[in-house]
Amino acid sequence: MVKLSAPFVLVFAAVSSAVLLAATRIITNPKPDAELKQLFPSAAAFSPLAGDPLHYEAYATDPKTNPSAPRLGIAFWTTDMVPDEHGYHGPIHIIVGLDLKGTITGAIVDYDSEPYGYFSVEPPKFGAQFKGKTIRDPFVVGRDVDAVSRASISIASATRAIRDGSRLIAGKLLPEAAR
Amino acid sequence: MPAERWQDVLGPQALDLALLALFIALALISFFRKSVRLKYASLVFAVGYMGFFKSHLISVVDIFGLIDRNLPIFKYNISYYVLGVFVLASTVLWGRLYCGRVCAFGALTQLMDAVLPSRLRVDVPRNLDRNAAWIKYGLLAFVIVYFVVTHDLLVYRFVEPFWMFGLFGTTAMWIGLGALLLATVFVRNLYCRFLCPVGALLGVISNVTVFEIKRWSECKTCKICEKACEWGAIQGPKIVKTECVRCDDCERLYADQKKCPHWIILLRARPSAPKSAPAAPSVQA
Repeated sequence: MVKLSAPFVLVFAAVSSAVLLAATRIITNPKPDAELKQLFPSAAAFSPLAGDPLHYEAYATDPKTNPSAPRLGIAFWTTDMVPDEHGYHGPIHIIVGLDLKGTITGAIVDYDSEPYGYFSVEPPKFGAQFKGKTIRDPFVVGRDVDAVSRASISIASATRAIRDGSRLIAGKLLPEAAR
Repeated sequence: MPAERWQDVLGPQALDLALLALFIALALISFFRKSVRLKYASLVFAVGYMGFFKSHLISVVDIFGLIDRNLPIFKYNISYYVLGVFVLASTVLWGRLYCGRVCAFGALTQLMDAVLPSRLRVDVPRNLDRNAAWIKYGLLAFVIVYFVVTHDLLVYRFVEPFWMFGLFGTTAMWIGLGALLLATVFVRNLYCRFLCPVGALLGVISNVTVFEIKRWSECKTCKICEKACEWGAIQGPKIVKTECVRCDDCERLYADQKKCPHWIILLRARPSAPKSAPAAPSVQA
């Protein structure tokens, strides 16, 4: 039998642990420009991801030219708001837009590693059904959110992430909606 | 945001948990009473509720989740863990009970078996049967290595047909499933016996089975059960634990005083004994 050299074992261990760590993506999409535009089609500019909690702000006119530009709403990553939430296999990265009244302007699933994701949370119609919901809606899978058996764990997790993330954001950053 | 109350977490799961408890109770009662009718009732329940309604089967995806320590959140998915614990515990206690009456796909092929005419069946030559049973271990090893290297969860679609209960598949997947089910018409429980990686894993665990099936001394020479076993799990005097799914067929035969040589010899040796004398043996392990 071939005797394995120590460097080989080390390299092998390093590569395999790197592969293991890469199992679920930890960092969210750093430049979701297209997604933000989809959530707020009328926005002229967006702030960078910042603040506590982390969020993007959407503006009707560029605040660089007009410092008093009004906010249209807020976009956030569910993974920033509810980091412990995960489905069948790791967190589901969803970017959600909220207007100032706490109504969802859209929810887009950007990344997931769910085994049944391709027919549950990945089809655009999954995220699309949240558009128009408010932070006070029930968000019950099977009632006001469509369910797909075999993938109910993924769908329930994504739904909780959107609901809880939206409510947290509204409570902290949208005084008009939380009232 | 109002704090989440325990009613909010448990409420939506209550019905699901109650039905799962009912199903597990039915499966266990049918097992302990060796009842054919109750067993078919639990098979139908398995296909209908655990299969088409819930799509809740143990899958290689769950093995991948264990490898990654990346399983669903407990408090929101209690039934997922209840089934998981039941499967592990029942396998340690009795063997592959899960495969025989809890798994929706296994239940489906067994119901096919009950409905289809037996003349269609092909008897697999014993040698081939023994060797084919190893394929599932190879598949299990392959998917685990493949997953650790690539982290491609979607490989499950090509090694197990359980996605069919979600009624979602590509044309190629449905054609593959059609071929598998067609082959199952001729070779009973083909997938469970030769191919299923989950069955292979439970087979490995079942080596520690606590309560084994009892054998008579007459079993050394008698072949009745060996021929009757539709899982090919009896080899001469011994029961191959890794292949046995505790279907009860042989245990019902042991108890049959008209068919089992153990009773025929015993009753003939004591002709004066009243017909009803020896109580039916407790063959329950």
